[in-house]
Amino acid sequence: MSRGVLDEESFRLCCRLLLQRSEQLRDGWSWKAVQGSEEGYLRKTALRSVVIDPSPARDQEGSGSDSEPRTSCQSCPDQQGREKEESALVASVDTDRVSGAIDDDEDDEDDGVCTVSGGSSQVLQYEYHILHSCSYAAPVLYFRAFTQEGRSLTLEEVWSSVHPSFRLRLQSSPLNTISLQEHPLLGQPFFMLHPCRTEEFMRPVLQAQDQHRPVNYVLSWLSVVGPVVGLDVPLKYSTSPGSSTEPH
Amino acid sequence: MADDKDVLRDVWFGRIPTCFTLNQDEVTEREAEPYYLLLPRVSYLTLVTDKVKKHFHKVMRAEDVEEMWFEYEGTPLKWHNPIGLLFDFHASNSVLPWSITVHFKNFPDRDLLHCPSNSVIEAHFMSGIKEADALKHKSQVVNDMQKKDHKQLWMGLQNDKFDQFWAINRKLMEYPTEEGGFRYIPFRIYQTTSDRPFIQKLFRPVSPEGSVHTLCDLLKEMYPVALPSDGEPKRYQVVIHGIEPLLETPLQWLSEHLSHPDNFLHICVLPVPSD
Repeated sequence: MSRGVLDEESFRLCCRLLLQRSEQLRDGWSWKAVQGSEEGYLRKTALRSVVIDPSPARDQEGSGSDSEPRTSCQSCPDQQGREKEESALVASVDTDRVSGAIDDDEDDEDDGVCTVSGGSSQVLQYEYHILHSCSYAAPVLYFRAFTQEGRSLTLEEVWSSVHPSFRLRLQSSPLNTISLQEHPLLGQPFFMLHPCRTEEFMRPVLQAQDQHRPVNYVLSWLSVVGPVVGLDVPLKYSTSPGSSTEPH
Repeated sequence: MADDKDVLRDVWFGRIPTCFTLNQDEVTEREAEPYYLLLPRVSYLTLVTDKVKKHFHKVMRAEDVEEMWFEYEGTPLKWHNPIGLLFDFHASNSVLPWSITVHFKNFPDRDLLHCPSNSVIEAHFMSGIKEADALKHKSQVVNDMQKKDHKQLWMGLQNDKFDQFWAINRKLMEYPTEEGGFRYIPFRIYQTTSDRPFIQKLFRPVSPEGSVHTLCDLLKEMYPVALPSDGEPKRYQVVIHGIEPLLETPLQWLSEHLSHPDNFLHICVLPVPSD
C-alpha cells in the first residue's frame, strides 16, 4: 500500500473498517456483495439539495440571466472534443425530451412535489458506489442522481452541479474527470470519477501517515474525491475507534 | 511474427452484413425502407451509423426524432461494446444479415449510455486503451505517448485506417523479451449466466514457474464451467472475433493478435446451440 496503490484484499479490509465506523455514526454506508463471490461495493444513498447552475461552465463570468434556458456546459470528458460542443448542445436538448417522456410513464414512490426549472435549487436523490478497480489498483467512485420524479440527471446537469472551483480544476485536467460509464458489476449507466490519477494524489497521503495510526486508504481517498460530488466525509471518521479519543 | 501480421489485418477488416429496420412504433411520414450496411467488427455502432440515421430521418418529422439507439430481439445494444462483440454475444447463431431495429424515442437510459457526439466515443475508446495499458505496462507506454499519437489511434479507428492505427498501436503491444509478455493481460469475459456485464481480473501471461498461460488456463481460473469436462458433450463455445480459438493458444499471443483496438481481449462464453 505504500506506493499509493490498493489491491483488492486491502480494499475490502478498508471497506470493513469504514463500515464499522459508519455503523457507529449511522451515516448509511452498506456493503453489497456480488452473488457467489467475494467481490462487492460500498453503497450509500443521500438526498441532496442542488443548484443546477444555468450558466455555461466554461463561461467564468456567467451569463447572468436566470430566465434563460439551461445551456450546455462542457459535456465532453475529453478536452479534445471542444470543437464538437455545438453538437453536444443539440443532443442535450434531445436527451431532455427523452427523459421527459420517460417521466410520464413512471409512478415514482415519493409524493414530494418538486417541479423546479433550471437555475433554482432542487432536491435530488444521489446513489454512491465505491468499487475497486483491479486495473488501476485503486478505489473508484460511481454515482447516479435522480430528480424526485425519477428522471436521471444528464452529464451536463451533473457537471453544472459541481462546485465551480472543482469544476474548473477537473475540466482543465482531462484525465481526472466525470463521465458516464457502465457500472462494471451492475451493467447500468453510472457517472464515474476517473481513477487513473488516484495513485498520484494518494502517494503523498500514504507517505505522510503516522506509523501508530495507519491511514485507511479508502477513507482518505474518499475525503479527497467525495466532496466534488457532494459526498462529504464527517470529521468524526478521523477519530477512529481504538484511538485515544474514543471511549471504550 | 511476419505471418501473424495477416491475422491483424483479418481481424481489422472483419465485417458483419447488417440490415437496419425502423422500429414499428416510430411515427413516419412515409414507409421506411430497411437499410443495409457492412459493419466493421472492431468499430462502434454509433460511430458507423451516420448513414442509417440520415436514411431514417428522411421519412420522419424533426419533432419525432430523439437520440438514436439500437435493439436486437428486444435487447438494447450497448454501443460502448465493439460491434463484433455485440454480434458474437447476442446473435452469433442467427442467420445473416444481422437484423437490428432502430429507435428514435424512449431512449432506455437505465440500460444504455448516452452518445451525443463522436467525442464521447473517442473518450470511451481512449479510456479503454489507457486501462489496458495500466494493466500491460503500468500506463508507461500510453503516458509516454504524445497527444498526437493518441489522436492517431482514434483517427485510425474512426477512418478505418489499419496502417495509421497500427503505426502507433504496435508500441502498446511491446514488452521486455525476458518477461515473456505483458504485466497482466487486459481481457473481459462475457457470459450469459449472471447479470454481471463481464468478468475482469488480474491474470498474467506467464505462470510464476515460467510456463506460458493459455486460454484454457485463463478460463480455468475465471470461469471454469466454460471448459469441457471429460466424457460429457461440450456445453459452451468460447468465441473471439467470431471464431473458437484452440484452448491451448497462448494468452499472450491472443492478446497481441485478437485484441480489439481498445487493446482488450473480449471473450464470449456462449451455450452451445441446442440443435
